[in-house]
Amino acid sequence: MSKEKGFLSTKTIKVLTRRDLGSALHGWGIYAVTVISFLLSSFFLGRYLGGIRENNIRISPDPLSGFFFFPSVIIISFYLTVLSSVSVSRERDQGTLEILFYGPVNSSAFIFSKYLKEMLTYLIIVVFFFAYFWGVSGLTNLGFSLGLVKAIFLSIFLVSCWISFGLFISSLTSRVRNSILWVVGVFGALWALYFGQGLLLSLSTEEMPAFLSYMGGAVSVIYQAVWWISPLSYLSRGMDAVNVGSLWLYGMSILYSIIYSVVLIILSIFILKRKGVRG
Amino acid sequence: MRKIVIFWGVFFGLLLYLQATSMAQTPIMSEQLVYSLNVYNGKGYGGAFTPQTEDTIYLMADKNSAIFARTTLVYFWPITAKFMAGFQTLNEEVVGTLEILKGGKLLKSLKPQDNSLYYPEGYWGETSVLSIDEEARTYYEKYKKAVDEYYQKISEFYKARIEHRKKMDEFLEEIKKRREAGEEFTSEEIEKSIPREPKPPEGPKFYTTEPRQDYIINLPVGTYRIRIRAEDGTIIQDSQKNLVVFTSRRTGGTGYEIIPGNRWTMREPCDDPARIIYAAGKNALYFNPFTQDEYNELYYNKLEDPQNPGRVERWRWVHITPIKDVTLLFLKGKEVLQRVKRLPYSVKQVPGATLGYDIIEYDQEKQPYEKPTFEGYKLDLSPTLENTGYQINLEKKTGGFFKGGKREVRLVRKENSRLLYALSIFPLVIGVVVFLKRRKRLVP
Repeated sequence: MSKEKGFLSTKTIKVLTRRDLGSALHGWGIYAVTVISFLLSSFFLGRYLGGIRENNIRISPDPLSGFFFFPSVIIISFYLTVLSSVSVSRERDQGTLEILFYGPVNSSAFIFSKYLKEMLTYLIIVVFFFAYFWGVSGLTNLGFSLGLVKAIFLSIFLVSCWISFGLFISSLTSRVRNSILWVVGVFGALWALYFGQGLLLSLSTEEMPAFLSYMGGAVSVIYQAVWWISPLSYLSRGMDAVNVGSLWLYGMSILYSIIYSVVLIILSIFILKRKGVRG
Repeated sequence: MRKIVIFWGVFFGLLLYLQATSMAQTPIMSEQLVYSLNVYNGKGYGGAFTPQTEDTIYLMADKNSAIFARTTLVYFWPITAKFMAGFQTLNEEVVGTLEILKGGKLLKSLKPQDNSLYYPEGYWGETSVLSIDEEARTYYEKYKKAVDEYYQKISEFYKARIEHRKKMDEFLEEIKKRREAGEEFTSEEIEKSIPREPKPPEGPKFYTTEPRQDYIINLPVGTYRIRIRAEDGTIIQDSQKNLVVFTSRRTGGTGYEIIPGNRWTMREPCDDPARIIYAAGKNALYFNPFTQDEYNELYYNKLEDPQNPGRVERWRWVHITPIKDVTLLFLKGKEVLQRVKRLPYSVKQVPGATLGYDIIEYDQEKQPYEKPTFEGYKLDLSPTLENTGYQINLEKKTGGFFKGGKREVRLVRKENSRLLYALSIFPLVIGVVVFLKRRKRLVP
């Protein structure tokens, strides 16, 4: 069946993407999650302005592109990861995947259309970002800088890592509930590992009980291993690149994100082919 | 489903347990071979030590730095999250020859040399020079001689002061008697004949530490390895360390230390030209410009203290010397709004129960027994200024601007912070519009 279909049929991808994007835009999720992320940014901004109010001075490199933008990206990344993680498993769960695969749809076109839909959803959110931060700049005079534009552009690639990660999880699971549980669990575990490693590093090895010392070593090894697997580390690298203002790090962050996304999309296609439409 | 819930439950439970068991432990002292350091940091010399946990020593290229190995008691100090050395309890010198290796080959063998630190502007001055061998001994002798001479002068001063008090008593007695006898004096006559108080001698302005024996390292940029060979030819255990010798990436930049008028103790650095000064309301800012060099953050932080954290991909500016002979310009575009000269200032506590202080311009005639609290270029920011387009820059005496002295100043509108929440909900408004349009299309 799949031999008759092209590897990436443009028309198929277009139709599938349009169908999914339409349903995403007509739902409340995209708007609600964007509002939540903006409320969080507004909260941090309020605190920042409160700090300036208290001290009458603050010296920092363009705050909007750093600590006010990335919290929003984290929330939206999580939402899009959950969306992409259920995208394959829901179609499989409901049986629509089987019907689609009887038509002109193959694994590559299906996964790619899902990826494209989530990326387009994020690009719509990017428009919201521009509008929101332009408004923030006008209200507070913090300045809409080139740094912020660079951060927003980089975020497209960082979010791509999360979306492809969600698709990868989705291709592995057969049920929507399991996909969500795995994504929430992995998301939580990665954050716990991120903070746990920081906590254990801040302790002296001589002060630790032997058990904690071994655990510290193990967590460090896991962290190193996860460094190239976790989309969180790509986000962290991207945030560093923007904060440091290094063009080299910025470029490398984009390159790493593209490689990561491509690898996970290929893996997702491969797994979907292996597991078949019924899982 | 159940399995997944149990898996994550156990995972997070274990993490919480780890956090709980990592609380308060008693410090443990351990005997270690450490390197005590006296290293050049771009502007002077600073001391630190390298515990066993640090396997690399960082030094600046083409400058003398002094290091020495000692056996001491090391313990972890949780407040600073750093290891501390108990040199007062145990400070045993590790004698031997320091070998420096490059690519596995022996490059240099060093014997300890006499060295001392010479502070031309005194111990609290901003510069220090490491002198070695004969020069170190000469500087120290010169300092000792200056101190001896000072003590001699102090002794003479005390004698002169006793003599002055005696003469003063006699003078007052005489004036009293003559007044009782009906004689009258003008204040000028008394001023003219009053015995003059002797002036205390000034101590030596420079300072030199007592010479001590260290290995003096001066190497070009590169990575090396060091170890100590004992007199019996063996390598002393735990004496092997990596050595990273580095230099600045950029030199001759301009950095600022900004003292806000409303919180003068809280000094804000503004070193990177990309940093923006966000100000709000009426305030006075006191600028202190410095020449600065840029170093790798990890290397420089580790140079200052081998236990400092840092990131190899980051760079940091280090203030080298204060810039004094310039004028600070406050500009809006090309228009100069204020030209500011460097002046000394005194911080005065507000008398009475009211808390607070005033920063006033220092006047040597009115405050002869005081020293200025700080010096700086004062910039008054008025709340009536517009919000954007302001910069500061440094103008040289000879004309033109000082390299890298420009900074952007933005006046923040803090009163609008509540409107940010209203702004946040605009995507929801768009969502409602989309929803209504769709509904209209579906339900004609």
